Parts: sequence; C-alpha cells; structure tokens
Amino acid sequence: MLTVENIHVYYGAIHAIKGISFEVNEGEIVALIGANGAGKSTTLKTISGIMHPRSGKISFLGEDITHTDGYKLPAKGLAQVPEGRRIFLQMTVMENLEMGAYVQKKPPQSDFENVFEHFPRLKERRSQIAGTLSGGEQQMLAMGRALMSRPKLLMLDEPSMGLAPILVEEIFKIIQEFHAAGTTILLVEQNAEMALQIADRAYVLESGAIALSGTGKELAESDEIKKAYLGG
Amino acid sequence: MMSFLSSLISGVSLGSVYAIIALGYTMVYGIAKMLNFAHGDVIMVGAYICFCGISYLGLPPILAIILAIITCTVLGVVIEGLAYKPLRSAPSLAVLITAIGVSYFLQNAALLIWKSDPKFFPSIVSFEPVKLFDGQLTVSAVTIVTVLCCIAVMVCLTVFISTSKTGKAMRAVSEDKVAAQLMGINVNFTISVTFAIGSGLAAVAGVLLCSAYPTLIPTTGSMPGIKAFTAAVFGGIGSIPGAMLGGILLGVIETFAKAYISTQFSDAIVFAVLIIVLLIKPTGLLGKKVSEKV
Repeated sequence: MLTVENIHVYYGAIHAIKGISFEVNEGEIVALIGANGAGKSTTLKTISGIMHPRSGKISFLGEDITHTDGYKLPAKGLAQVPEGRRIFLQMTVMENLEMGAYVQKKPPQSDFENVFEHFPRLKERRSQIAGTLSGGEQQMLAMGRALMSRPKLLMLDEPSMGLAPILVEEIFKIIQEFHAAGTTILLVEQNAEMALQIADRAYVLESGAIALSGTGKELAESDEIKKAYLGG
Repeated sequence: MMSFLSSLISGVSLGSVYAIIALGYTMVYGIAKMLNFAHGDVIMVGAYICFCGISYLGLPPILAIILAIITCTVLGVVIEGLAYKPLRSAPSLAVLITAIGVSYFLQNAALLIWKSDPKFFPSIVSFEPVKLFDGQLTVSAVTIVTVLCCIAVMVCLTVFISTSKTGKAMRAVSEDKVAAQLMGINVNFTISVTFAIGSGLAAVAGVLLCSAYPTLIPTTGSMPGIKAFTAAVFGGIGSIPGAMLGGILLGVIETFAKAYISTQFSDAIVFAVLIIVLLIKPTGLLGKKVSEKV
C-alpha cells in the first residue's frame, strides 16, 4: 500500500533521514519506534508531503507521491494525526471535524456519528471551542478529525505523548478499533512497549536509519530492544 | 449638541472607511502573517479605476465601482503571487521590505499613468442629503452610504468566515498552516483568496473615501492606509471584529480631535491614543491572547 524506497531528507544542511526503506501492506499495523531525534516524525512528515525528500521514492497505492503537494494526499486516502495534535484550538469540535472532512463535498451525518461512536466525549462537547478541551480530549479530536477524511492509511505521530497511562491505554484501544474497521495504520511511537503490543510489524529507527525490523512480537522479545527501549 | 452629533456622525463615517481598509490588513495578517503595506495603494488604484470608468469610459457609477472591485481583486492576487508567494518561507523582514517596495511601485506606476495633477473624483451618490431635527443637522448621502456599506461588508464577511467552507478553511489556515494542509486544504490558494477579498474591499474603500474627499492623487491611499493599519492594530490585528471596532473608534477619535482640540494635532492625538491602548493591552482591544496547551 505504502512503499518508501531509500529516502534522504535534509533540514537545511542537516541530513536527518539517511536512506530509509520500508513498506506498509494493506490491513497491517506498522510501528516506527526509536529514541527522540531518530527521524520518526521526519519520516511521517515526508510521507504526508509536509517535507520532500532530496532523493528516493515514496509511492502510495501504486502512485508515485514523492513530490506531490501535501494538500492533495488526503483525497487519495492518506491521513495523518500530527505530533502535538495540532487541532484548531479556536474552532469548535464540530468545525474541527468538518475540516477533517474538507476533501469531501459534504460529509454525511453518519461520518460524524462514526467518530462520536469511538469518542462519546466529543459528542458531549461538540459545540465547545477545541482549546478548552483537556489534553486527552484534544488527542481524541485529532484522531476523530483524521478519521473524517475516511483514510485508507492512517498515520499517527506519537499519539500517547503527554497523556496519563489510562488514556494511553484508551487511545491504543481506539487505534485497534480503527484497524478492525479496515483502516491500515502506520504508528510512530516513543512508547515502544505499547506500540509493539499492537503492531504486526515494526521498524526501529536510529539516527535517521533503520537499525532493526521484524514482527511486533519478535522485536518485543529481542534483547537489544528490551535493553534500549523497554527498560531491561 | 448638534455639532457633537454632527462630529459623531462624520466620525463614524470616516471610521467606516478605515474599518473596511483595516479588514484587508487584518485578514491578510491573520492568514499570511504579514503586513501588506501596499494595501493602502490598492485603495488608490481602486479609486483611479472608478474615476476612469466614470470620466473616460462614461460608465454608470455602479459599473465603474464593479470594474474597480474586479481590477483590485485581480491586482491583489497578482501582487501576492509575484511579490509575496516566493517569500513564503523567507524571514518576515524581507516580506515587509517587499511590501513597502510594492507600495512605492504602485504609487509610481500611478504617477506615470495618471500624472501628478489631482483628479477631481466625480460624485457617485446622487440622492439628497438627509435633514434631521428640523434642518439643524444635515447628513450627506455619502455619509449614509458609507456607513451602510460598512455594515453590509461586516455582516457578509462574518457570515462568510463563520459558515462557508472556504471561510472555515481560512480560519484553519490562519491557526495552523501545516495542520490545514494535512486536512487537504490548499494553503496557497486560501492565501490568494484572502488577498482577493482584502483587495476587493480596498476598492470599495477607495471609492467611498474619494466620494467623501474627492481629490485624487497617487498618494491618496497612503495616509488612510497607515491609519487603517493603526486601526487594525488598535482593535487587535488578526481579529475581524477588532478591525471594525478599531476603524470606527479611530475615525471618531480623529474627528473629535479635529473638532474640539486641534486640526493640526488630530493625527498626533490618534497615534497617542494608539500608544496608550497598546501600553495597557498590547494585543489590541479585541486581540487574541496567545495561549497554548502543551
């Protein structure tokens, strides 16, 4: 579904991504894990067209999207929940969801209902200004907003960041619900333990390159991973 | 009492023109995060086009106004595309200098085309002034039209921004360009739309301004442009109701200062009030507090 081939990405002179290749097949949950600054977020930003690689190739559903303008991607079925949520704080919850459905002419009511089914809390707060939501609710809104574009591939950047453990559990449960409903998931996480639990496959990034890859189970049991990311 | 009322009415009318211009500044600032100092000169171009439409082409005023609006809308989009778009990721100082450059370019182009001798702007409002209180207070037709235009612009713009899909996309872009792009919003197109609306409004403001003060020269737009920029900052730059409030207050303060204190010092008084407001409330009267949840 998504193929990334040997991409090199720079921030000015800084060589942030040094030849990463990986793929996400339809129906999978794939996790990119790694320490801060390993290049996980940069990889996602490059896929979603916020940044462009200097070399390499990215294709989605068989189409080369390496240099496609980012705003054209949601219509093709690619959605991203960005790092730090980035919901529209001065707009209402409903308006945020409408923006999520921007690529559709007129989103059907059932799409909103679908989001509210996953996140009943958002329904209660639908006319509230998004800036007044709690951190967990904001993360839910960011996820609901991404769902509104009916993505084929949903990319989540650090969805557990800054949330209480109980909320992290809830967010991961909902990611699995999305997956069960037929959405392919690409997940970037620092919380390797949680990510490996739900991932079919995972890639470990270290300083802009892939250091290890395998199934979620294999990696969760690997000594290297245990030592580096799972606290022993 | 009558002179007070009369000053108040002309203040609101002048303020309405400032408000319409300030909307252009504030919308562009809100979305592109830049101060378009050429905005005042777009007003002048709008007024000249309307003048030419009536005096040279013999168009009826309403057609001349529409011609001015279309010309300025196109001009705004062209300016944005040629001068500002290539600088989207440049430091804001570079964009500011470019805007000042565009401003001088427009003034000098106008000087070449229309020469420096003042043009007398024809009257476009043909109905009679309204007399109130047994003729003690006369309100000119231009004043009434100006205030009505301002109200109409305010209502239309508010409805557009709060309910239409493009309007909501504009708000989304103004808050977070990257997130807006992730929603599938074409950020560059949205910025162009904003310039188009702002410049179209500038044409309206130019026509209204020159109907009230009918002498038209290539620098006609610069002082009202700066005043309207002040009004936008006064009300809280980036805020649409702020621009309206700031514009009207500025017009009223200026007119009262002229009527009761000193004609020469009226501009100084206006700017002094601005400084005081900014000292007390740095974000302007209706400016948004910058707060973020982390």
